[in-house]
Amino acid sequence: MKISFAKPHLPTEGAVIVGVLDNKVFTPTATALDDLAGGGLKRAVDASKFTGKKDQTLTVLAPAGCKVNRVVLVGLGKADAIDALAAQSFGGTGLAQVLTSGDASVAIAVDAVPGLKISEADFAANVAFGARLRSYRFDKYFTKEKKEDKPSVKKLAILTAAPTAKNAFAPLDAIADGVFLTRDVVSEPANVIYPESLAAECKKLADLGVEVEILGEKQMKKLGMGSLLGVGQGSDRESQLVIMRWTGAKDKNAAPIAFIGKGVCFDTGGISIKPAAGMEDMKWDMGGAGAVIGAMMALAGRKAPANVVGVVGLVENMPSGNAQRPGDVVTSMSGQTIEVINTDAEGRLVLADALWYTKETYKPKAMVDLATLTGAIIISLGGEYAGLFANNDKLAERLTQAGKAVGEPLWRLPMGDAYDKQLKSDIADMKNVGGREGGSITAAQFLKRFVGDVAWAHLDIAGTAWSKKDTATCAKGATAFGVRLLDQLVADHYQD
Amino acid sequence: MLIAHQPVLVELAKDDPRRRGAALAALLPGCPGPVSVDLALSAADAAQLAYGLVLRAYRPLGKYRAPADDDPLPWPDRVLVLTDAPEAAQGLFDRLLPVAAGVHLARDLVAEPGNHLGPAELAAQAQALERLGVSVELLDPTVHGLNLLAAVGQGSTRAPLLAVLRWQGSVAEEKPLVLVGKGLTFDSGGLSIKPAEHMEEMKGDMGGAAAVLGAMRAIAGRKAKANVVGVLAIAENMPGGGALRPGDVIRSYKGLTVEVVDTDAEGRLVLADALAWACDHLRPALLVDAATLTGAVVRVLGRHHAGLYANRDTLAARLLKLGVAEAEPLWRLPLSARCDDDFRSDVADWKNCGWGPVPDNDDAARFLQHFVDTKVPWAHLDIAGTSEADEDQLYGPKGATGFAVRLFDALAGG
Repeated sequence: MKISFAKPHLPTEGAVIVGVLDNKVFTPTATALDDLAGGGLKRAVDASKFTGKKDQTLTVLAPAGCKVNRVVLVGLGKADAIDALAAQSFGGTGLAQVLTSGDASVAIAVDAVPGLKISEADFAANVAFGARLRSYRFDKYFTKEKKEDKPSVKKLAILTAAPTAKNAFAPLDAIADGVFLTRDVVSEPANVIYPESLAAECKKLADLGVEVEILGEKQMKKLGMGSLLGVGQGSDRESQLVIMRWTGAKDKNAAPIAFIGKGVCFDTGGISIKPAAGMEDMKWDMGGAGAVIGAMMALAGRKAPANVVGVVGLVENMPSGNAQRPGDVVTSMSGQTIEVINTDAEGRLVLADALWYTKETYKPKAMVDLATLTGAIIISLGGEYAGLFANNDKLAERLTQAGKAVGEPLWRLPMGDAYDKQLKSDIADMKNVGGREGGSITAAQFLKRFVGDVAWAHLDIAGTAWSKKDTATCAKGATAFGVRLLDQLVADHYQD
Repeated sequence: MLIAHQPVLVELAKDDPRRRGAALAALLPGCPGPVSVDLALSAADAAQLAYGLVLRAYRPLGKYRAPADDDPLPWPDRVLVLTDAPEAAQGLFDRLLPVAAGVHLARDLVAEPGNHLGPAELAAQAQALERLGVSVELLDPTVHGLNLLAAVGQGSTRAPLLAVLRWQGSVAEEKPLVLVGKGLTFDSGGLSIKPAEHMEEMKGDMGGAAAVLGAMRAIAGRKAKANVVGVLAIAENMPGGGALRPGDVIRSYKGLTVEVVDTDAEGRLVLADALAWACDHLRPALLVDAATLTGAVVRVLGRHHAGLYANRDTLAARLLKLGVAEAEPLWRLPLSARCDDDFRSDVADWKNCGWGPVPDNDDAARFLQHFVDTKVPWAHLDIAGTSEADEDQLYGPKGATGFAVRLFDALAGG
């Protein structure tokens, strides 16, 4: 779908999407179309439940007097409440109505509205961004899809009087590229995306100026990464640690911010095997790594003036004759020993070595890890918030604000010695699980033992990496939760 | 170590006086009295030390057991806390001792087995507070439109009831603090019966009501200058020929209909009626409920924080601060309209819960919110993880904790 920007005008083909404010207040383009239609649009509105409430839609087919095939009215709500997120919602909601309509050409009229608090250029750019995000579809494996079910939209024109809208959109377009990459790799089944093939995807980021280094099992063994290697030892596929470096800051030697991702390309649970029902979902147990990879693409794509390191630990957790057994004690790169009580609590074992390696090698300003870590987070916060854990209040607050700004909200959960005690082992420095109570918290306490004094936050995205329902800017499926959040965090606090 | 008639010196770590008193209590069993505490304490500190000591010196329920060799050693008959201002200290302590009594009462009630403490017995415990000036009213739910409460209790041969305890310590016009407690004297789950293992713990499913009752004991005992009303939603949830069936639709006190898909999500049903009734009848200035409500909150926060939900940030902030001060820590969790999707019903206004991997702790809180008047500042404490402890705590031995009694007492002020 090609996105372009043009001055406001009345389209004469395909579909046109227009905004209507609360209480049925038509924006100028909507009014112009309604005039052409002899009041037909207003009559349609009055005959329906549409009032201009945010994200309501009403599609009017072939209105008399207008040359377009359809007019999609989208509710904007109150003008002074329109922020970047609402603009994205407008674009995505509108596009969703026409994506498989049969129309190849779509225009979205982004009119200036009185009381708008963001700039017109930002309004238009975010409408385009929202539409692009919503246009994502993972359909490569359909061989017999009927034409009427396929997306028809080839050209999307954003109509705006703001001459700088196209420039404002450019960085957002780069972020969308990152989001799409993440959605792709998370949606791919595990016979296609496994540690080595995901590492190869990371390698492609070199085209954008990212330095990519891949460590294999031999190198990881030399470094002493017994915790990560234990997880992958049961699989026939080699485990990988991928380091991606974007050095965009003026001072190339300034300490970077580091993002670390859990990349379990498929999680059977290992010997502590999962039940059969729903196990196919575990292809997205690399959602954290996916988000980090997408964030690196976004940052490099928009040439962020920042130093960022992305580290992803990639493994496949399988049962087999070689797999690690419940009760095994492994030695992590940090030297701490871990009694593996449950081989299905493997994400934290991967992160333990990835975090320590990152801390030791790059001495980052701060570390943020993302992981589809615990089922417990799904039954505590559902799909609306990801869980946030941190050893530093300032970092936690920065992440929370960034999450709010991009519609990837976080909810902080407590940590403390009382929870840490639940990890006590009789024979090793710690167990890899702390019992059923406070499961997401004890997982975070485990990770904390591998970050030293570095400011660190952990995002448990097990509930938010995949959605069962469409939203305004995301079709159901992989959400790429975290890509926009990390980009916003860098933009707000970690770039020149 | 203990030699008769010889003073024994004991080291106490430096700490605030209440905590030192509690630490001292842990050292006292087996000490022959009298014990003198000589720490050059001011009147205020002496009173706090004694308070901490009394809180911690709680003995769990022993009345059903013959004396055994492993029973804890007896307390000394007297503890003398030395201070330069004994009368002042006594005066301060006289207002703290009733709070300790409230905490001990709550612990006793939670530990009582379900056959000994059923709905009528819990109601009688409420009525016992009349001697302290609390006025107690017992309501038959079937007569007062409390249909959810009636439905939860209908499977038991012991009838459910709503107990309303009123303490007027201030002028009548002043709107009261209203405390609401879930009082399931035993929760079998009903027809959606619980698994057998650990079901005995469900005698403690009235921990919320115990906290409210203990708080009223405290508030009345120290003659607080405040208006406080305690509302206990009391029932026993049992399976049987006449029990509530999954799928039954009940019209709540508020008028909203509820499809009961899981009879073991019953706490939110009794609270829904109690909260709506309280909003209608009591003109609350603040409305706070406590309940051992969900297993999910224990999965989230473990046993070291209770879950806090609130429809006003100011109320939430106040409770969080009090929680820290009273060592009854809370952690705020989200009240979210998106939870509604989890328990939408095809046949009624709401189901009582969602199935599958839903955040049941958040869902339950959001469910309750539908029954609370939006104009009333309201908070909900899910104390399922903190009502009982599996190891000794700061202010009590392992077992029933009396969680929230001191928080509520502090909230009442006066």
